[in-house]
Amino acid sequence: MSRPASQMPPPRADAYPGHVPDVPGWLRRHPWQADSLLALLLVAASAGQWQGEYRASLAAVSVLLAATVVPRRRYPVAAFAVAAAIGAVQVVLGVQPAGGPVSLPGPGLQLSGVPGPTAADAAILVLLYTLAARRSRRVSITGLVICLLGAAAGIIRWAPTHAAHSGDVVFAAAVGLGGAAMTAWVLGDSVAYRYRRAYYASIEERAARLEAERDAQMRIAEAAERARELQERRARAVDESAARLRRIERDLHDGAQVRLAALAMMLGEIKESLDAAADGAAATGAATGGAGGGADGADGGADNGARTRMLAAAAHRSAKETLVELRDLARGIHPPVLDRGLGAALAALAETSQVPVGLEVSIAERPSPAIEAIVYFCAAELLANVAKHSGASRATVSAGEHDGRIRMTVTDDGSGGARLAPGGGLAGLLERVQTVDGRLSIDSPAGGPTVITIELPDHA
Amino acid sequence: MAAPLRIVIAEDAAVMRDGLTQTLTRRGHEVLAAVADAASLREAVEKHLPDVAIIDVRMPPTHTDEGLRAAQSIHAAHPGVGVLVFSQYIETQSAAELFAGAPAGVGYLLKDRVADVSDFIEAISRVAQGGTVLDPEVIRHLLRASRRGDSLATLTPREREVLSLLAQGRSNTAIAESLTISPRVVEKHVASIFAKLGLAPSDNDNRRVIAALKYLEP
Repeated sequence: MSRPASQMPPPRADAYPGHVPDVPGWLRRHPWQADSLLALLLVAASAGQWQGEYRASLAAVSVLLAATVVPRRRYPVAAFAVAAAIGAVQVVLGVQPAGGPVSLPGPGLQLSGVPGPTAADAAILVLLYTLAARRSRRVSITGLVICLLGAAAGIIRWAPTHAAHSGDVVFAAAVGLGGAAMTAWVLGDSVAYRYRRAYYASIEERAARLEAERDAQMRIAEAAERARELQERRARAVDESAARLRRIERDLHDGAQVRLAALAMMLGEIKESLDAAADGAAATGAATGGAGGGADGADGGADNGARTRMLAAAAHRSAKETLVELRDLARGIHPPVLDRGLGAALAALAETSQVPVGLEVSIAERPSPAIEAIVYFCAAELLANVAKHSGASRATVSAGEHDGRIRMTVTDDGSGGARLAPGGGLAGLLERVQTVDGRLSIDSPAGGPTVITIELPDHA
Repeated sequence: MAAPLRIVIAEDAAVMRDGLTQTLTRRGHEVLAAVADAASLREAVEKHLPDVAIIDVRMPPTHTDEGLRAAQSIHAAHPGVGVLVFSQYIETQSAAELFAGAPAGVGYLLKDRVADVSDFIEAISRVAQGGTVLDPEVIRHLLRASRRGDSLATLTPREREVLSLLAQGRSNTAIAESLTISPRVVEKHVASIFAKLGLAPSDNDNRRVIAALKYLEP
């Protein structure tokens, strides 16, 4: 059971160890010839017994019996039945060799000067062996019983001839014939047992293999299911994160940015009214001239006022600077222009680029917001690279659909040599693109031109 | 102080809507309506026919560009009503769309500009009087892009500054004041700019802005 199937010798119909003990491989591979040879041997063995008044009958019976051996492997039951019938005819008609030493197969019993079975009767034993080896126990036991009954009938038939002899001879004949039949059956049955065991083992082996295969297939199906599930989950995560960024930008726009703008407006009002008040005071001061007495107090008030004006101006300036910073931050989180589609967003990028940009966008159906954002940020990064490193005088951005995938290419006529360096800008783009199973390809020979293409699914 | 203006405000953020209303009222202008979405804006404009409508670009329901669309349709239907669109972000494309037709009485400003209250109110007045206001940010984008190549590259830094102010619809005197140079020098710069850009000079402020805009349009 534990041996792998490949090491198990395949069960062969003609591979019965013990049947013909010293057969070379040729005999194993040619069962018909081997059995014909066996038949000839049986005929030869019995030829010496063809004597006396039944000589012709003996020869005929021997040849017929021997012939039943030839088809034994293919038709074990029929061959046995024919041989048994011939044996029965032999017993009934009393066709038996007269006197002389008779060799019995099997236990090697020697009967001297008494009639008995011919050597060709050994064919019956061979067929019983074959029956036991090749057919079910039920069939082979029936065969054994027939043999034993036949032996008994023969002994009874011949017993009167042996009347002069003691009962011992009859007993020895019974033991010899019965024992020979039993031995043939046991030998055959043991072969069948081994064969069945090997057969069951191979069946169990096959069952185990099928089970293992089924398990493996189940594991593969589970893994595929899991992969699909993870893919869906990732797509959801990518979409959710894009939606969340958009929400954050909107919250900033509706919240902090607008409040800060309102605050800056109030500070502007304060600053302007302080300025106006100071101008008014200066005018009044100039008009009243060197009135003397109140000059110290007026100077102190003017100092205080100047300080307040300075603070208001600083606060006003700071609020305006913060507005700019906050706008840049919000735009980095989610460029609002993306809400109007990739075409508008890429156009906005192109017009703020330091290097003149030609733009071609042909995307009929809008990809998901997450994909649009990736395309936009990649284009922004690539155009920034063009301006910073390439020395190009022109760049082209083209975006289109090919087989349900979005392809965006940034080309420049600069000095080339762009490459993927760990931690570099392009590596960052590659990471971003790979979050949705996208691809990034770089073609940038020294001397240019540089062509960088990203390819993405139309949704995460 | 110029004559009081009749104003409608469309801005979905209450803090900005109220702040603008108070500031404008304090400066003697009349805020006829302050609404929070494009539909109410159209109604208010139909009802009051104000001198100028101040319109936020992003408003409910889509929070994208309904303000811009409303401004365009109002300006088409009522050329006498000035529209000042203001936005948290400035896009050249939106500016080009807004100014594509007759740019008289049209303004486009970054929301930050409310911080400089007097300048902002001056811009409102200019739009109300049929003038044109374009945010310096748009000009800066376009100048930085140098998309017109040689002709723009030939401008001196000072001329760029003057062009940027000029595109906002400022008069020569106003430009002279903000750059602290004499009006005569400004005139020379303007003549030089127009010569370099191949545009005929004109003494009408509005026409000058239109010329600049046409030049800057993509």
